[in-house]
Amino acid sequence: MFLAQLKNELWKLFGKKRTYIGFAAFLLAQTAMMLAFKHGGAQKSLEKLLNGNGYIASEFISVLTVSVIILLPQIALLMPLYVALIGGDLVAKEAEDGTLRMILSRPISRIRLLFVKWSAGVIFAILLVLSLGLIAVGFASLFFPWKGMIVIEPGQGFSILSAQDGLIRFMFCHLFLAMNASVVVSVAFMFSCFNMKPAAATILALTFVIVSLVMENIPFFESYEDFFITHHFKCWLLIFQNPTPWPQICQSEIILFAVSATVFVIGAMAFQVRDIKS
Amino acid sequence: MIQLTNVVKKFAGRIAVDNLSFTVPRGEIFGLLGHNGAGKSTAIGMMLGQVWPTSGEVKVCGHNIQTNRRDALMPVGAIFEAPVFYDYLSGARNLEILSTYTAPTSKARIREVIEWVGLTGREQSKVRTYSHGMRSRLALAQALLPKPELLILDEPSDGLDPEGIHEMRQTILRLQRELGLTILLSSHLLNEVEQLCTRIAVLQKGKKVFEGNVADVKAARGKVALKTNDFAATAKLLRERGLITATAEEKFITLASGHSTADVTQALVTAGIAVEGIWQHEQTVEDFYMNLIKPPPILPKN
Repeated sequence: MFLAQLKNELWKLFGKKRTYIGFAAFLLAQTAMMLAFKHGGAQKSLEKLLNGNGYIASEFISVLTVSVIILLPQIALLMPLYVALIGGDLVAKEAEDGTLRMILSRPISRIRLLFVKWSAGVIFAILLVLSLGLIAVGFASLFFPWKGMIVIEPGQGFSILSAQDGLIRFMFCHLFLAMNASVVVSVAFMFSCFNMKPAAATILALTFVIVSLVMENIPFFESYEDFFITHHFKCWLLIFQNPTPWPQICQSEIILFAVSATVFVIGAMAFQVRDIKS
Repeated sequence: MIQLTNVVKKFAGRIAVDNLSFTVPRGEIFGLLGHNGAGKSTAIGMMLGQVWPTSGEVKVCGHNIQTNRRDALMPVGAIFEAPVFYDYLSGARNLEILSTYTAPTSKARIREVIEWVGLTGREQSKVRTYSHGMRSRLALAQALLPKPELLILDEPSDGLDPEGIHEMRQTILRLQRELGLTILLSSHLLNEVEQLCTRIAVLQKGKKVFEGNVADVKAARGKVALKTNDFAATAKLLRERGLITATAEEKFITLASGHSTADVTQALVTAGIAVEGIWQHEQTVEDFYMNLIKPPPILPKN
């Protein structure tokens, strides 16, 4: 029965046009960034950097290198926006439209309903992240060859990888990106469980992420960086490091999982005690 | 089937339902009446486990809704407030989605309820293309999906045209007659309540001000219609003789306790007032409701 409920929740989710806004936005943004990289000055700057460090630039300006470059700003800016939009809708939009009253006239428990909805939100987040990676690789392969990979981590230096090793790590990093997206969905979902408009839930979730990002970057809070989710969001880039800092990655993933579970529980508690009325 | 015992609901200190108790026995069509804000929807919300009572107990189908929501709602179908669906999906898909929140439902059962409510042929159309009447029928279809024993209908005829109201009324009667359902009906359409319900409860400002059989309401001693050439003078005379307690609309009198229309006729004839007509006015649920909700008019002193 859970699977049937989840399937129907996905029907509802993917039956709405607004669900596809994120996919469409990624498609447009990646096209624009790819063209800007190819025809703007970014490619030349990267070539200069590689040549200056003793690498043959043509061996590393590849599909995977460019894919990661265009993923970076989208993961930081666009991804939270679109997953928060969906997460904020999950409960609050149904409450606003009145369909929640129709559902809750049936013998399904509130917690189970929330779990079904949250699962659908997480599946959406995973699909969005996967499509982000696939679109990036797809576009990059139109303009660049499959060769070695260089990953520049802002403020951390860069890592050089072979094409095969790079591809495995590139695929693997999506697991962590999906976790990041799931955390943002969960935060938006939590606000959505309170008695508020869907837009308010989305805005509050984005505020939560932005405040975390801003505080993390204030020098005063440097020693408290572990308390900010955006600090742990960056762990997907660590997968490209040699050697890979697994303990640090695992720690971040555990913290992100705990954040997701905590916000789900808070949302569920709020939803459980609230009155559903027009 | 439904039992409310001393139920109180407060919203931020404001009492929405005040010490409400009533019982809906199996097989009955029970009407819940009251003005907007009287507490009807809050009461229904509590029966469906969507609004938590501040105190008191709500039992549906023998189960406490707060502690055993699943068993309580398993044999229940409901239309709660406006019939709202996923407009971007078809009627059949909406029913399929809603059915999974109760129990596995076969496609044959979905087809059966679609046919029952008369939506065959339109079930694959998106709900956004449905008229209000079709949405109401779809709402009824979703309520019937789980083969309920109890149907809770919150203003099912709201927004329908006269033809739609008539159709809905016939459908409700058919449901009770053919499927033997117990129905709780909340409605502002008092003639609908009169035609459908066997028993009613009236709420005013969250409190129950009446509960009883519709047949008793209609048979209750009510107003008497009186036609004379000077109603005001007649009313004054009857009041002076202590035969009536009130008048209304320049044509109705309310008899004082212990007096009959014969007493009134005799008094008027003796006084030389020609009586053109006097008859017991049959009380409708609407008359009863209006008298109950509005304070009775006070007779002028002179």
